[in-house]
Amino acid sequence: MWGQLLDTIFKAEFLFSVIRITAPILFAALGALIAEKAGVINIGLEGIMMISALFGVLFSYWTQSWLIGVVGALIVGVLLGLLMGFFSLKLKTDIILAGIAVNMMGSGGTIFLLYMFTGMRGNTGALVSPNILIPTVNIPLIQDIPIVGEILSGHSVLTYVAFLAVYLIWVLLYKTPLGLNIRAVGENPNAASSVGVSVLKMKYIAIAISGALAGLGGAFMSMYYSQGWNSGMVAGRGFIALAAEAMGRCEPVGTMLSSLLFGLAQALRTKVSGLQGVSSYLVSVIPYVVTILGLVIYAASTLKKVKKHRAKKAQLEVQK
Amino acid sequence: MKGKRMLMFELVRGAAAIALALAVGTIFIFLSSDEPLNALRYLLIGPLVSLKNGVASFNTQGLYTILAAMIPTIFTGLAVCVMFSSNQFNLAGEGIVMVGGFVAALCGIYVHMNTGWHAVFCVLVAAIVGGIIMLIPALLKVKLGASEMVTSLMLNYICMYVVLHFLNYNFADRSKGSTQTYAFDATAKIPSLVSGGSKLTWGFVVALVFVVIVGLFMYRTRWGYAIRMIGINQAFSKYSGMKVGGTIVLSQVIGGVLSGMGGGIEVLGRYSTFLWKELPGYGWTGITIAILAKNNPLLVPLAAFFIAYLNKGCQLMATYCDVPSEMIDIIQAAIFLFFAAEQFLSGYRQKIVVKNTRADLAKESAGLEGGAK
Repeated sequence: MWGQLLDTIFKAEFLFSVIRITAPILFAALGALIAEKAGVINIGLEGIMMISALFGVLFSYWTQSWLIGVVGALIVGVLLGLLMGFFSLKLKTDIILAGIAVNMMGSGGTIFLLYMFTGMRGNTGALVSPNILIPTVNIPLIQDIPIVGEILSGHSVLTYVAFLAVYLIWVLLYKTPLGLNIRAVGENPNAASSVGVSVLKMKYIAIAISGALAGLGGAFMSMYYSQGWNSGMVAGRGFIALAAEAMGRCEPVGTMLSSLLFGLAQALRTKVSGLQGVSSYLVSVIPYVVTILGLVIYAASTLKKVKKHRAKKAQLEVQK
Repeated sequence: MKGKRMLMFELVRGAAAIALALAVGTIFIFLSSDEPLNALRYLLIGPLVSLKNGVASFNTQGLYTILAAMIPTIFTGLAVCVMFSSNQFNLAGEGIVMVGGFVAALCGIYVHMNTGWHAVFCVLVAAIVGGIIMLIPALLKVKLGASEMVTSLMLNYICMYVVLHFLNYNFADRSKGSTQTYAFDATAKIPSLVSGGSKLTWGFVVALVFVVIVGLFMYRTRWGYAIRMIGINQAFSKYSGMKVGGTIVLSQVIGGVLSGMGGGIEVLGRYSTFLWKELPGYGWTGITIAILAKNNPLLVPLAAFFIAYLNKGCQLMATYCDVPSEMIDIIQAAIFLFFAAEQFLSGYRQKIVVKNTRADLAKESAGLEGGAK
């Protein structure tokens, strides 16, 4: 069994699937990251992904254009982010409860919306045709390199956007005035507002971008990954993304690396469940267990660092 | 006087939030249905009033069904009340309900006891297992500072898949068409409270007893007090000498115990074998109920009744009209958002506060003048 497993893992195709599976988690994790930077905990990512995934398919079906579908999903994501922002910032609903409400809409509300728009129940099966799915692209030059080409080339457009977004978010946060303001608001809202930064505006912007990224993640899920929308599709990716963001220490590159780790766990699950004599249910647990373990290791290491830091400080005090 | 006005305001605000949520629901009904008025009738009065040949009559069986549906959600609602009171957003109730139901069913099948004790034993085991599982997010939070929200969410999926694994590979009754366990002993079944087809069992009475117990615990014991204080101001509680870590763990474990118990009672009362194939959703409903009850255990039954009523209405609407029952999720989400919104109708509250203060000042100055004379 193990030999069989190793055989499947050490193949370009496996690494290709890791990247493919990472993309939606990465989108959502970046969404979690930018919200967190502005001091907003967005646990509605799961619901936003579900809803925008549905609208992605619907828009692309109505217009027969995948691009409009993706843009539509993005806009729906932004609107949901702003809705959460309105309730939490203006009406002072606890942001976590607002997130749970969005998740509720995502789990049951989407089934209702699908029925309302199309009369279908539970999945979009018949609506989806190949021309409304997100196309894949081969990268010239890279695709000709053996193995590396097989791994990196031939992904969907959005997969590349996901990894490009890591860079863009980094630039936004650390190289633009807007990013500086967002970080300032997250770190110390009083200080930020005392120098004339509008805290509310920054938080709205951050949660809107967060919604947009989750929206792209949703579009990726329904319009490429599972080729259609169904009610159990996102399966906790929005929540896993929160863990990825926490483990990535709220930094773009770290978040990308931890997202890749979770992508690896998911890919492994798919591979292992294909093997004989393995319980598919126990295998399904892998990504979630990895998430908890990752969080524990991260939390433990942070704690250790804090303790070390304190011990050092205390020692210095004593020496004085 | 002042308290009375603020209470009135809270009631008005709650009613307004619910009305708004129902209005949102109505909009969706009008958008999706060909016979919206009929659908609305089923949603709003269908659960308790049956119309036959134009004569309206009170539907007693309908009432029993609603009360039966409240049994698991009262437990999860109480669990969430206790957990959220300490300001811990622990969402693992959902998974623990499923584990609790499964464990109780197994005890009902493989342990043999006398009538009366058997059911109690099964539910107790479910409760203990629930409490033990809840130790995971609680200890990780207290000892390491790992977000209880993320770990508990992951735990839900783990609970579900582990239960499904054991159900499919170890305990399935292969003679049946669908995946389910063997039937549990008659001694383990929780007896019905009323005759007829409804699933209203003694579990309902147990649930109400626990409402009182949890209410007393939260408002009449020092542990309950500590839990609430920590929820309001953790740093202050710490500096005033409360054991913050231990109390947080305690509140989470109580939440786990209540959730496990709810799952056990639901499975032993409603079914004769364990057959859940996905998370039952009672944990999430429990959160809505706790929000509606403002984390006050004594208000949980009221909130549970309201949600069960709406749920039944949505089911009727789906059965007799063309509106899917998932409508309930949209209404619940809207209730959630408006009800938990502190600033909702805040202008109105401001007016009340101003009025109160003016009245107080007037009284005071009148009193002063009276004293001068």
